Amino acid sequence: MSKLRNVAVVGFAQAPIVACDEHHTAQEMLYPQVRRALADCGVERDAIDYQVAGSADYIDGRPFGFVAALDVMGSWPPRQDLHLEMDAAFAAYYAWLRMQAGDCDSAMVVGYGKVSEGSPEHVLNLQLEPYYLAAIGLDVKSTAALQASAYMARSGATDDDLAEIAAHNRAAGARNPDAQVRQAATAEELRRTPWAVQPLRTGYLPPVGESAVCLILAAEGKAEKLCSQPVWIHGLDQRAEMQALGGRDLSRSASTALAAQKALAMAGLSRADEVDLLELSAATPAEEMIVREAMGLDAKGSTRPAINPSGGPLTGHPILMTGLIRLGEVFRQLSGGAGAHAVAGARRGIAHASQGHCLQHNLVFVLGRERRWS
Amino acid sequence: MNEPPKEPVKYVQSHVYLPYHYVAGDYRARYLRALKDKKILGSKCSRTGKVFVPPLLNSPESFAPATEFVEVADKGVITTFCIVNIPVIGRDLQIPYVAASVALDGAALSIFALILEVQPEAVRMGMRVEAVWKPDGERHGDHEDIMYFRPTGEPDEPMESFIRRL
Repeated sequence: MSKLRNVAVVGFAQAPIVACDEHHTAQEMLYPQVRRALADCGVERDAIDYQVAGSADYIDGRPFGFVAALDVMGSWPPRQDLHLEMDAAFAAYYAWLRMQAGDCDSAMVVGYGKVSEGSPEHVLNLQLEPYYLAAIGLDVKSTAALQASAYMARSGATDDDLAEIAAHNRAAGARNPDAQVRQAATAEELRRTPWAVQPLRTGYLPPVGESAVCLILAAEGKAEKLCSQPVWIHGLDQRAEMQALGGRDLSRSASTALAAQKALAMAGLSRADEVDLLELSAATPAEEMIVREAMGLDAKGSTRPAINPSGGPLTGHPILMTGLIRLGEVFRQLSGGAGAHAVAGARRGIAHASQGHCLQHNLVFVLGRERRWS
Repeated sequence: MNEPPKEPVKYVQSHVYLPYHYVAGDYRARYLRALKDKKILGSKCSRTGKVFVPPLLNSPESFAPATEFVEVADKGVITTFCIVNIPVIGRDLQIPYVAASVALDGAALSIFALILEVQPEAVRMGMRVEAVWKPDGERHGDHEDIMYFRPTGEPDEPMESFIRRL
């Protein structure tokens, strides 16, 4: 591989995830996070070269809402800007690419959007193939249930296994002040919750939530000035697979497997369990098991590496921010800012982001406390 | 119903229905509520003192928060305008009419406004205008509370006074 620049996460700020903020617009939620992230780096906004946002105007129904966000991102003096209708973790990937191209040395990545103002089940239905799938009214919960059913049939995983995974995430989320659901629940309690869409119970699904997130990236030379412990990107890869749900093996995630393999190889690692923790964008326990398996990890159980020490998406899943929050969580863990949910002695971690129905498109970051390339 | 179609299917029509629940937000809610009392509120940049109408939570220019709310006048100056000659669906306005940017006295940014009670040909950049409000008891705290703006008859303002407030 040709010489790559070392790029690090140097700042992260997140609004606590809530079901509904009746008093603020998405921009009003985002502005304090941008200011906090910059203040943590000890810089003014003019220290940032490039900016990229992950959001979708369909979420809160404000035409050109992404343009209104430029004011609260501090876009002055004018800088290069990009907007993605994707999880903002993919925006971080774009920023990393721009740094590799030598276009910029620092970048601001934001994610925002208010699902409480819109109707996520209607909006996410529109991501499906329009003639056969969207038309029958499938939403993201029902496609996740199709996937869970396929996985359980192949692997033999049971309702009890799903409940155990959900309980593990709920216990972790209780220690994370930014999580939306902060009450631990036992597997037994979760297994008694009613069916949402069989085989998924309401206790196995994330709450609808909203937040606003700002993450700062910087290249070697600048990163050390902005942060006492930058968290370096050692490897990353993203893979997408076909949209047609009937055309792929829903019980597996081929794109996660390939992205993880490539990202680990880039980081000089061969196995995902060589890191200390993983933050996974899995919106159901079945998705988590599929993603774990795709990464070559034990699909259930296991105490090391730590999985979703923040509580994961089951304790807070703001659409288009969930992946960026995973990246921010790994930054917190490795830079010493994770507080009550810190994984002791963590030096390396994986952040996973996903986009689309049934894990259609997956992005894997491998991060560490030391610089990767000399 | 079960017979195959005689003609090939050429298109499929599907309806998209996306319901929304509008949250005005802290700043816009205060602004809208004040219109009910015939007051126009702006927010003041804590660094430069510039006043933004409708209120912005921060100055896009200085990036400082604009936390203080101040009242501005309901009259100002036409900074730029156009004459509209095409009907807009859902708007019952006789064409041609004038759509203008109006910088209210005390405000650093202009708002969009409908200009009536004047021949379109007579409208000028720099012309002084005032708001015409809905009568008491009919204002609901929305943008329709100001029905339109009309000339005040005061002398025009020189362009230098508003060129930075277009």
